Amino acid sequence: MNRSAEIAASEQKARAEALFNSIGDGVIATDEFGRITRINPMGRRILGYNKVDLLGAWFPDKVIMVDSEGRKTNLIDRPITKAFLTGKPISQKAFYLRKNGHPIPVAINVSPILANGKPVGAIEVFRDISFEEEIDRIKSEFISLASHQLRTPLSAIKTYSHMLLDGYMGDLNKPQDQALQTIVEAANRMNELISTLLNITRMESGAVAANIRLLRVDTLVKEVIKDLSSQATNKKIELSVNFSGAYSKTIRSDRVILKEILNNLVSNAVKYTPSGGSVTVKVRLRASEVVVDVHDTGWGIPKYSQDQIFSKFFRAENIVKRETTGTGLGLYLVKGLVDAINGRIWFESQEGKGTSFFLSLPRIKQQRAR
Amino acid sequence: MARILVVEDDQDLNNAYCIILRNEGHEVKTAYNGKQALTKLKDFSPDLILLDLLMPVMGGLEFMQQYDLVSQHPSIKVLIFTNMENSPEVQEAYKLGAERCIIKSWTAPHNLAGVISDSLRENAPHSKAKTKSKAKAKKAKA
Repeated sequence: MNRSAEIAASEQKARAEALFNSIGDGVIATDEFGRITRINPMGRRILGYNKVDLLGAWFPDKVIMVDSEGRKTNLIDRPITKAFLTGKPISQKAFYLRKNGHPIPVAINVSPILANGKPVGAIEVFRDISFEEEIDRIKSEFISLASHQLRTPLSAIKTYSHMLLDGYMGDLNKPQDQALQTIVEAANRMNELISTLLNITRMESGAVAANIRLLRVDTLVKEVIKDLSSQATNKKIELSVNFSGAYSKTIRSDRVILKEILNNLVSNAVKYTPSGGSVTVKVRLRASEVVVDVHDTGWGIPKYSQDQIFSKFFRAENIVKRETTGTGLGLYLVKGLVDAINGRIWFESQEGKGTSFFLSLPRIKQQRAR
Repeated sequence: MARILVVEDDQDLNNAYCIILRNEGHEVKTAYNGKQALTKLKDFSPDLILLDLLMPVMGGLEFMQQYDLVSQHPSIKVLIFTNMENSPEVQEAYKLGAERCIIKSWTAPHNLAGVISDSLRENAPHSKAKTKSKAKAKKAKA
């Protein structure tokens, strides 16, 4: 190589080095065994390590990953392992422990480096998301507090309206009774809206706290049916329930979240079914799961809209023409809550004929019904 | 009849719960925050505490920690009455010994009376809580 070629190569190397060192996110490169071969200054700053601490070290050993509770992440669950095993880029949020042992929230994107189709290393880009997490926490706290403050006067409105309706303050005439019913219904609608907004905020910030306990799905379904029976009767819709299978329908799940999901599915079915129609809820057993079917003879979901049904604010065109109320948040929330309790949800629908939603929940095996 | 302590900072709701529960025949005392509740409990021994979570001065969770329900007062039932559904605070209240959580804005007076009567009946055979609301009886007569 002549002198000028050497200078050019050297300049090119210096530029590549400067470029790597100037990247605003942390970058770590490893060989095919997961040993760290390079780390940029931002990466070192986020983790609090010197270059010599890291170069040559086995990445999962040196850079400890933990969950939000501080538990060490298993090697198999680390993004770099998944990237090596699948050969695909993996994105994940987690916590890395800094050199001083302090956890720091990070957004990670790791890709395998492939040569002739075989992984020869991996490159990970990670970003300190402490600020975003703090903003999310403040936002979530604000919405939680605002919802609570909105609900306090609403609770007083509802409680006193019910007390009047229940005769605690004397008898009412028919128009007074009807006026109070209207107040209660309007308060219920506002309450539902606040609930939905609050749950969505929690879900989006990952703060849905699932309280997993043993429960019977059939009992919960009966409760939901009972709660919604007057709504169905008022609309002249036949609301029925059908249980099948001789074994226990006991599962381990979160009662409040599951009730919220069922309530949304059944009330949607009632809402979007015309008078004279029917809504049937079935609970059946499959090998390792309990499946709840919510079937209605309603307006159905147009084929062209079906892939958007769980999207935020989405309302099907045929529904918007008939029903003016509705936020398009119900099924978006349902999907998030189903994920939070490790369930599955899917549906079949035909416009003008009706819709069936299927909710699958993992079952406890080998347990007889009492 | 059972002895009930209502701990709720909203005066309108506190009054409403008193009317409903006294109408059921229960003996009811009130407090507007956890600190007041601790004071009341020095000379009032309830069968059940109806407890709000978010209150000024001392909230429901701090009250439960200080009162040490699980170790010191296992026979007293605590029903959480809140609007903070699905929240970590409710999960914490369960850990501290709360028996049940009722969502205020979804609970009509007759439901509240029913839940309390059921709860008292379930694990306290000596409780003489009435099973039928006077208000409902009055309506039925009408």
